[in-house]
Amino acid sequence: MNRTFRSFAVVTVALVVFGPLGLIIYQSFLSEAFFSPTARPSLGAYQYVLADSGFHSAFGTSLLVSFGMTVIAVPLGSLLAFLLVRTDLPWKKFLEPWLLVPIFLSPVVLAFGYVVAVGPVGFFSLWAKSLLGTIPWRLYSLYGLIVIAGLTHVPHSFLYVSSALRSLDPSVEEAARVAGAGPWRIAATVSLPLVLPSILFSSALIFLLGFELFGLPLVLGDPAGLLVLTTYLYKLTNLLGVPSYHLMAVVALSIVALTFPLVYAQRRMLRTAGRFAVIGGKGQAFRPLPLGAFRWPAVGIVLLWLLVTVLLPLIGVALRSVVSQWGEGINLAEVLTLDHFRELQNHPNLIRGIINTLLLGGIGGALSVGFYAIIGLAAHRWQSRWVSFLDYLVMLPRALPGLIVGLAFLWVFLFFKPIAPLRTTLFSLWIAYTVVWLAYGLRLISASLLQVKPELEEAARVIGAGQGKVYGDVTLPLIRFGLIGSWLLMFMMFVREYSTGVYLLGPGTEVIGSLIVSLWGTGALDLISALSVIEVVSVGLILFIALRLGVRLDA
Amino acid sequence: MPDLIAKDIQKQLGTAQVLCGVSFELQPGEVLALLGPSGSGKTTLLRSVAGLERPDNGKIEIRGRVVFDAATGLEVPAEQRGLGLVFQSYAIWPHRSVFENVAYGLRLRRVANAEVHQKVGDVLKRLGLDHLAERYAHQLSGGQQQRVALARAIVYNPPVLLLDEPLSNLDAKLREDARAWLRELIKQIGNSALYVTHDQTEALAIADRVLLLDKGQIQQEGPPEQIYGEPTSRFSAEFMGSNNCFEGKIAEVSGRRARLAGDGWTLWGTLKAEKSRDTIGTGLVRVESVRLADGAGDHRLKMLLKSALYLGERWEYVLELGDLRLRTWGETSRPAGEYWVSIPPEALWIF
Repeated sequence: MNRTFRSFAVVTVALVVFGPLGLIIYQSFLSEAFFSPTARPSLGAYQYVLADSGFHSAFGTSLLVSFGMTVIAVPLGSLLAFLLVRTDLPWKKFLEPWLLVPIFLSPVVLAFGYVVAVGPVGFFSLWAKSLLGTIPWRLYSLYGLIVIAGLTHVPHSFLYVSSALRSLDPSVEEAARVAGAGPWRIAATVSLPLVLPSILFSSALIFLLGFELFGLPLVLGDPAGLLVLTTYLYKLTNLLGVPSYHLMAVVALSIVALTFPLVYAQRRMLRTAGRFAVIGGKGQAFRPLPLGAFRWPAVGIVLLWLLVTVLLPLIGVALRSVVSQWGEGINLAEVLTLDHFRELQNHPNLIRGIINTLLLGGIGGALSVGFYAIIGLAAHRWQSRWVSFLDYLVMLPRALPGLIVGLAFLWVFLFFKPIAPLRTTLFSLWIAYTVVWLAYGLRLISASLLQVKPELEEAARVIGAGQGKVYGDVTLPLIRFGLIGSWLLMFMMFVREYSTGVYLLGPGTEVIGSLIVSLWGTGALDLISALSVIEVVSVGLILFIALRLGVRLDA
Repeated sequence: MPDLIAKDIQKQLGTAQVLCGVSFELQPGEVLALLGPSGSGKTTLLRSVAGLERPDNGKIEIRGRVVFDAATGLEVPAEQRGLGLVFQSYAIWPHRSVFENVAYGLRLRRVANAEVHQKVGDVLKRLGLDHLAERYAHQLSGGQQQRVALARAIVYNPPVLLLDEPLSNLDAKLREDARAWLRELIKQIGNSALYVTHDQTEALAIADRVLLLDKGQIQQEGPPEQIYGEPTSRFSAEFMGSNNCFEGKIAEVSGRRARLAGDGWTLWGTLKAEKSRDTIGTGLVRVESVRLADGAGDHRLKMLLKSALYLGERWEYVLELGDLRLRTWGETSRPAGEYWVSIPPEALWIF
């Protein structure tokens, strides 16, 4: 039974990962879209794309954005991690969950929020103009894009650096204190150097995420004529009038060619990370480092970041959703309205989108957790070379941005005729989402499984329980809270997802995120703001429940 | 017919040969202790019997039924061996009550509900746990958890009970009580038991027979008195008890006796290994076999008492003579000075 179960897991994962990827590779070597009867094997698509100056400049911009946001996010994230984990920063308990909030916000919503808050005619821009006579910033620029991308990715570096700092033996810092070092010197010479592997790891991660950015450059870069690789890919769709699938395949592969080595490098880094760690005995209670006079300036830094990264765009979105129009010389009190929310009713596709989003998050999220649990159990305590194969398989989708996975699954459903009818159902979105979040979901599951001590399972086996009984009577009941937590996290991730659904968007497969992307092209700001508020409120509610249940967000 | 036969068990983990061909038998009702330092392979041996590890070579039979045979590739999975195992960490399932922990084995065997209640009730009562049936692991003390683990392992009457350092997580005081209680219980239910421990006192106290393991091999096998009193190898001699160990030159050999000499001293002892004259030998004598004597005599040395340490229930004296340094125990404090010390030749083993 175990053998069948495990083979099933490996084959299924291989199928959902290699199937779409294989199709992209195949398509890239054709002269036209694969369904065209005149499609022939050809290198033409590569020649066209690699010679295109638009591709070159998109490539350059992607590189700049990735690099710039890493330079901003990593130092800031590491500093916040040190302040929250190791010092006596005031309001720590309250601030900590907020630091992770940007992870659960859809970038396209954030980007839209920045536009209406600090764009050329944004609420805060006009306010600044009335005070200063001019707007001291330019949102639609490479710098604007880099700064916002950097600030919104601070949580990713915070996450890894803080978890490394938590496992650091406090006595190494106490030794520095006794020797006479103040908190900043301790951070710079002891704590942060000791968690260098995690800092490097998060740098590689953020650099990688830079190439996968889609919502931010689409909204913030486009008006300034800035294209990155993903938005270049998105624009290709309409470039030639006919579906230029072969060109899209080449662009998609060029992104994967950049991201895959980064994912691989991260994996190597993770393996050698143990070398540095000074792991404390039992996580014993320790006295946080006193910041002294820096206490309040330090809180100021955290609050300022929160204000710019979370509050500014969210206030923008919320305000925009309740004003009928906005521009210079308009008095806020005179234009307040709830019409945008009422207007949603006149668009059946938007209503379907809202329902679909919640269905996909709630039911789809649960099914995905079930799927991840099956894969996780199959690999659990399995000593075989197949486990490392499975590890590599799971790693692959991390190199695939949602936009590309969605595109690939669109092709899969077009290519394999027997499953074609599923394309217009939520199943197509569900499977694409499940693949995009495969690595994340499995990490959640295996983190739970790691906590199950092997003796608890061995005890059941010796007493006479077969493998299936052990899973059902011991393993799964023991990780049930982990499974519920994973479900809530997947729920949020699926609700905020936007890029994966872009290419799969059609009647029956509307979701809020991809509707916002498509509405952005039409400039329907009223509807976008209403949809954004609904999405943020849904995610906020689940986040609230998760926090009340004590779910760890830093998985 | 023995309850358990293990033949030539070999096991390699990574590059280390953990078990290098261990064979033993366990007779019905017998308690056999697997004693050895950490890394001696005793836990691997126990886990091989339980079916949680697969040996590279050998054969295991439980009451005449072959459960593992490397030659034929036969391996009965752990859940079909019907054994009982008490884990070092107890491994009480935290999501089940004491009752449900103990009842699990019976439920798997499709025992009728009424009988489950009766059997679990009996065993809990026997172990003094009947008032804790509805509790969960985190509501129990270490000693109680240990008894739940035991109850869970014996409730379905396994042919062999396996115990992996069952007392090592108890504090020292509790451990001494549990030792006597555990032996009594195993004898009462009449099970044969394989008992893994690194604690020699525990092994000597609890077992009918001790298997002394080192580096994956059996060093010595026999009843507790023999293991302690008649070591056959230097490892057995050194591993057990508290010892004085010193080097000297073999000055004279006479049958099984030899005279060991050093700087200003000479002592007769019992040869435990083949040794010839004028080679270097190692003398080994248990601390309690060295005694202060009231005057000169055979097998006595006049030594200088350097210090007396108070250990609570006794005193430890450190004595010196030339390059010979000995420890011994006594009941009273003694001032530094010269004392006669008796070292009987039958207690001084020469390797």
